[in-house]
Amino acid sequence: MRRAARTLAAALAFAGPAGAHGIASPLPALDYVPPAPGTYALHRIMRAPEGRVVGLDGRTQPLSRYTRGAITLLGFIYTTCVDPEGCPLAYRVFDALRAAIVADHRLDGKVRFVTLSFDPARDTPGAMRAYAGSRADEHPGGLRWYFLTTRSARELMPLVEGFGQDVRVVIDRTGGAPRRELSHVLKVFLIDRAGDVREIYTSTFLHPQVVLNDIETLLADRP
Amino acid sequence: MTSVTSRVRLVLAVMLAGAGVALADETCNSPYISKLIKGQEDFVYVWTLGVEGLGDGSDKLVTVDVNPKSKTYGKVVHTVSTGTRAEAHHMGFTDDRRQIWAGGLAENRIWVFDIATDPAKPKLVRTIADLGDRSGYLGPHTYYAMPGRMQVQALSNVKDKGGTTGIALYNNKGDFLASYAMPVDNGGDGYGYDLAVNPKKNVLLTSSFTGYANYMRPLGELVKDAEAMKKFGNTMVVWDLKAMKPQQVLAVPGAPLEIRWSLAPQDNWAITATALTSKLWLVKQEGGRWVAKEVGTIGDPAKIPLPVDISITRDGKGLWVNTFMDGKTHYFDLTDPEHPRQTYEKATGKQVNMISQSWDGTRVYITSSLLQNWDKGGDDNEQFLRGFAWDGRELTQKFEVDFTKEKLGRAHHMKLGSKALRST
Repeated sequence: MRRAARTLAAALAFAGPAGAHGIASPLPALDYVPPAPGTYALHRIMRAPEGRVVGLDGRTQPLSRYTRGAITLLGFIYTTCVDPEGCPLAYRVFDALRAAIVADHRLDGKVRFVTLSFDPARDTPGAMRAYAGSRADEHPGGLRWYFLTTRSARELMPLVEGFGQDVRVVIDRTGGAPRRELSHVLKVFLIDRAGDVREIYTSTFLHPQVVLNDIETLLADRP
Repeated sequence: MTSVTSRVRLVLAVMLAGAGVALADETCNSPYISKLIKGQEDFVYVWTLGVEGLGDGSDKLVTVDVNPKSKTYGKVVHTVSTGTRAEAHHMGFTDDRRQIWAGGLAENRIWVFDIATDPAKPKLVRTIADLGDRSGYLGPHTYYAMPGRMQVQALSNVKDKGGTTGIALYNNKGDFLASYAMPVDNGGDGYGYDLAVNPKKNVLLTSSFTGYANYMRPLGELVKDAEAMKKFGNTMVVWDLKAMKPQQVLAVPGAPLEIRWSLAPQDNWAITATALTSKLWLVKQEGGRWVAKEVGTIGDPAKIPLPVDISITRDGKGLWVNTFMDGKTHYFDLTDPEHPRQTYEKATGKQVNMISQSWDGTRVYITSSLLQNWDKGGDDNEQFLRGFAWDGRELTQKFEVDFTKEKLGRAHHMKLGSKALRST
């Protein structure tokens, strides 16, 4: 994993223009040394919920297709989110992690990313395709990044509820015309190969180095 | 989508200010709690000890309307009884602020209340009863939200009911996940009381009190027992939060109780008060190591004023301290946390314990009860929730709920509620 760590360090050093939003801001620095991989436990917090999701190809699949068989990093987003501590932060962290994971062939096929919209009204498969850009492309031996949405709020809510991802619809009137926002606290879920949630990150500690250490910890974890 | 959102918990709220992400609660809760009440709170939930022969005699969650614009301002609008008397003490929100976990020190039960469906009418939805069986601990005290989980700091243990204890970890559904013993080596004394997280530093800080055998004894009897009085905590522990492993044990003599991290973004220090020695202690990082420093005195320690709850302002510049024995509420200027300076004090009751403030600091709430067997007797045994206005110079009482007259019990821990957080 040392190669992944080196790549991650380089990625963090140059973490500038990031994500579909083109926001040029560095990732927040980590103000502590996280414990080494494998020296701590990641408890089975809960089962990842099941539900129906829609891929970029417009096909409906069970979410478990994307949460079993590999270590999964899953985050909820909505494509019009502008909160710098929300979806854009998750995007930047995912980008930095992807660079590190792709660089380490020992991680080939063992990790996937899932970005799931909680705004089915606006985030159609087409909108998600535009949001994903080249990130959704398959790279040989590399890490797959799936961009998913749902058909409706009715299909979304069991997933939101099941993960405990709180979200509120709010109207922001600060910029003139009222604008609909989905107020939420950023949560990113680390799911093991069996489909159990093993860590839940918030913006206070969502950092690539922490996540990479957790992935390594799970890889060393024998069921 | 409207019909679906009315069925589930998408809450329609009109935001006059920009959509923001809450990183902290009303000055003293877990940084992982997702919703702040930055405006006027509607309710104060009071976790109340039952008193035999008073009302139904049971512990209960009492909801008091505290919105001055309401017709029922300063009145009890709802109660939920547990049907038992278990030394109701503290409570805490889950990270999504949809539920309150509340416990009793005399039993190993935790009551879970739904406050999201109707914030005016909390509903008991679950009881967790496996703390003792799963962890060996007794007397759940502090409930501290982690993402998707709840840390429960206990005070005692089921084996000898002494002070050796630990922390239990549950998921938000109430499933037990793990337990962590308070350290008894490298200077650790095994006691527990409060816990609080500094996520920027990956630090969990814990404090120390005493076990069931002491906190359930009448106070007058306890203080005369020299051996028993030796069985109080004298330490705070710095943990690696991620690994949940003790890193440092800090000597803080005299039972350090509530822990408050400064919420100012640039700060990385916490403050606590010691019950038995009546001191303020600062915990901060110096040269990569955490240190604890005695930085102030509360009242006259010789008179044992017994500082109990503390409440820090959102900018980390001020601290309220309640002293139980003399019924006084003190305000300290924390502009220089190394040298706190008392700038105000007022007798707010014949006995006072918990103190909570609104996010903007202009409203302060105080309750009266410490422990069933430690509360005063006779006319001094006032039981109340009092609401005050604070203008920076004077505390002015705005309302009072007399918990004895209302046949409710002993008023202890408080949490704030808001209709704006309601799911519809």
